[in-house]
Amino acid sequence: MRYPKEVVLKDKTEAIIRPLEKTDEPKLLEFYAAIPEKDRWYMRHDVMEPAVVRMMIKAVGRGNVFSTLATVDDDIVAHASLLMRGFGSTRHVGRLRITVLPEYRHKRLGTWVLLDLIQVAMDRGLNDIRADFVIGIEDAAIEAAHKLDFFKVAVIPGYAKSPRGTRYDLQIMVKRLHRTWSDF
Amino acid sequence: MNQAVSQDSRRTTPNGTTRFRSFCAPDEIRRYTFSPQFGAHATYRSLYTKRESLEKNAEKPDTNVSLALSEDDLIIGFGVLAYPGHGERWAELQPQVMMEVKAIEVCRSWRSLGIAKGILEMLLCHPLREDKIIYMVGYSWTWDLDGTKKTAQQYRGMLIRLFEPFGFLEYQTNEPNICLKPENLFMGRVGSRITPETEKGFKWLRFGMTP
Repeated sequence: MRYPKEVVLKDKTEAIIRPLEKTDEPKLLEFYAAIPEKDRWYMRHDVMEPAVVRMMIKAVGRGNVFSTLATVDDDIVAHASLLMRGFGSTRHVGRLRITVLPEYRHKRLGTWVLLDLIQVAMDRGLNDIRADFVIGIEDAAIEAAHKLDFFKVAVIPGYAKSPRGTRYDLQIMVKRLHRTWSDF
Repeated sequence: MNQAVSQDSRRTTPNGTTRFRSFCAPDEIRRYTFSPQFGAHATYRSLYTKRESLEKNAEKPDTNVSLALSEDDLIIGFGVLAYPGHGERWAELQPQVMMEVKAIEVCRSWRSLGIAKGILEMLLCHPLREDKIIYMVGYSWTWDLDGTKKTAQQYRGMLIRLFEPFGFLEYQTNEPNICLKPENLFMGRVGSRITPETEKGFKWLRFGMTP
């Protein structure tokens, strides 16, 4: 797959999508520091912890994680990962995580990053991609996933809690990657 | 009509010698027989099922219709390089700057013998190739997955491997038909005499914008 990939966003900003590299650690720390705390709260790991970002960097080149960045003028504006188990009953499933800077949301950047990772998943022979979203917090991402043929497979009621203790449902979405004839 | 001089090359294959011809004129195309394999199959229909379609294309200015012919002058493969139609996004860049590889097809019994590569070589021997942005669009629903026994992703990979050696690169675009399926493919080759301004215009056009 060819990188870097050029994309033009809805507001005419030009962005580049490319794989995460070992040298990106300082910029990735800066990126996560710019993500609002209310968004970071719902992430799987505490990305303000340098060890967490170092773990992401260490995963570069390993077979079970593929991470990409979107950059504008060399600054990271989005980070996405496709996580694969590589063995067992769910080796055919990839899990997606995407984080976009607030000022770059609703400009189709997330969609381009997502489309790129869908291509990666298809190249790796995966059958399904899974993404989890907190309803009421990540509704824009749910809508974007819907447009790319992700569908709701389950909702876990009250699974996530806000800092104040308000419970939110977690929606699990899956996209099937057709290996032969598409459902078009 | 096309003023370019037709080129001719030959390749030996296990099925016999194949002759490749570029810039075939309508009269020349009429002399050959169209393989009946270019037709409708259970899950696939050829891009052109009649020889007349190739003849009509060959009448258009700058269009290059290239053929692969068996020893008995049977058309076993064809390619068409032409300007995009009016109303298509790619016609909007500048008049007659972009050209599309509209078709490249090999009949089933002649596949995996390097015929497509030979046809593409003939298509790209176009005298204006360095003044053009030549592109191809791969819609997965037009691919003969049944006949090739490939998955859509494998077929996509095969197309990339076919076009890349000729200077084509994969590009992102928000063109709605291409975006319908992630396995769809858009590749382009920017000629060496294309100006940076035109190249920039091409980038913006891929996303439906003007600079």
